[in-house]
Amino acid sequence: MEKTVGMKAKNLAPAPEGTKEAYDRQNIRIGIVTVSLAIIANFIPALYLWLVKGIALDVSTILTIWALAFATFGVSWIVQPISYSPVMGIAGSYISWIAGSVADIRLPSANMARKAAGVEDSTPEGDVMSTIGVACSVFVSVAIVSVFTFVGMGVIQMLPESITSAFSYILPAVFGAVFTDMAIKNLKLGLITFVASVIVLLIVPLTPIPSGFSVLFCVIAGMLLARLLFVMEQKKKTTEK
Amino acid sequence: MDVMDTEQKSKLVIGAVCAFWATRQIKFHNNQGGNIMGINEIINSPGMWAACGIMVIVVVGQSILFLRKALKHAPSVGLTKDQTKSGIRASIITAIGPSFAPVLVLLSLVSVLGAPTTWMRMNDIGAPRTELAMAEVAVGVVDGELTPGAMTAEAFSAATWGMALNNVGWMLLTLFLTHRMSKALGWMNAKYNPKWIKLLMLGAAFGLFGYMTSNQIVGKAPPALVAVLAAGAGMVLINKFLGKYRFIREPALGICMIIGMAAASIYKTMIG
Repeated sequence: MEKTVGMKAKNLAPAPEGTKEAYDRQNIRIGIVTVSLAIIANFIPALYLWLVKGIALDVSTILTIWALAFATFGVSWIVQPISYSPVMGIAGSYISWIAGSVADIRLPSANMARKAAGVEDSTPEGDVMSTIGVACSVFVSVAIVSVFTFVGMGVIQMLPESITSAFSYILPAVFGAVFTDMAIKNLKLGLITFVASVIVLLIVPLTPIPSGFSVLFCVIAGMLLARLLFVMEQKKKTTEK
Repeated sequence: MDVMDTEQKSKLVIGAVCAFWATRQIKFHNNQGGNIMGINEIINSPGMWAACGIMVIVVVGQSILFLRKALKHAPSVGLTKDQTKSGIRASIITAIGPSFAPVLVLLSLVSVLGAPTTWMRMNDIGAPRTELAMAEVAVGVVDGELTPGAMTAEAFSAATWGMALNNVGWMLLTLFLTHRMSKALGWMNAKYNPKWIKLLMLGAAFGLFGYMTSNQIVGKAPPALVAVLAAGAGMVLINKFLGKYRFIREPALGICMIIGMAAASIYKTMIG
């Protein structure tokens, strides 16, 4: 009896090796295991200080800190992974929310990897290239952060001030380039979504809504505008006919 | 017999760990009256490096696993070696520029929280400014101060807990959400016109990057706008005229980033 039940469960599970289903499921397995490990690793320094060095905090202090973290960043914990997940895909999401720098490093690298390989996003080959791009970007950012952690001060002092002051323009430049690169593909949608984002950012601070929600509103606005364009184009087609 | 042995052994180990921990506790409390056993030494101790290094190993190891899987899967979706190689080069070059952005915050973190903690937290989730803000909030709970040299053992522990409790929020969401989101997407593609779903995803991506870009402009100094416009113009030029050359296409984003930074710096020195 037991054997047949086991067989049935097994028959349901495996999709043939090399198919998209099998690939996705393997990625989900890697993701769940590595994210669980990261959650453990995340607490090791605090546990090390407590158990090995004997530097303890009261439970109430820890709970207070958690409550403050939730109040300050709780919106981001929930909103960000949801907003990014359509763009990042499965493997990309698992990497991004462990390694961080999602918008400024992971996504641009995924975009450029697809572009260089000449494949489109939201296709099976686009998905694979995105994963390759995101994974490689992790090696680069870890290497650079490590170098600066070990020898940081010395290197920064060697650079002239004109270069270090230009550091504050890295992000606007990166986002300007990435957005333009994307908008070229669908100029109409790109431009109106950009205008909508500026409006969201101007209006949200005037309301009691936490500013962490702005990103979600912009994503929803982009999706609604996409729907609007789609419907309008469908209508145009039918009237032309 | 074997079972007994392992049981006894494990009891012994647990006992030893407890005893070790207890002596540490006593040591710490004995020292509390005088100078706390050199928290500045603990912050940069080999033990702290080891404790923090585990996260860096997980981060790199995870990417190695996903990269291997993707490279193995690449031929079955029709990707050639040439394409994957070009993609790898492009993503590496692209990642270099933005990796420099947090360097200045990194250095201020090193001076307060020490090198090992900074190394770990800059390599995991949580933007540099987020980590700094969270450390400050947590240190405030124990009435500490986040200034170089003024760090107490309690304050450092609070900062460590704070960053861990904050970062785990994103990790838990990802753990419980990602596979469900991918299922939802498959369901949507089956139920609705895939062409519309694709446009919907593009709308979501535009919204996301529309937010990122306008967030750099709205309420910021004018050089930031110059950086956005110049980098965007660079991207248009590359796409229009130079897109066919691989040696331009692969580092395109890096080139545009430098154009944007240079334009903003020039604007700032010329106009203010």
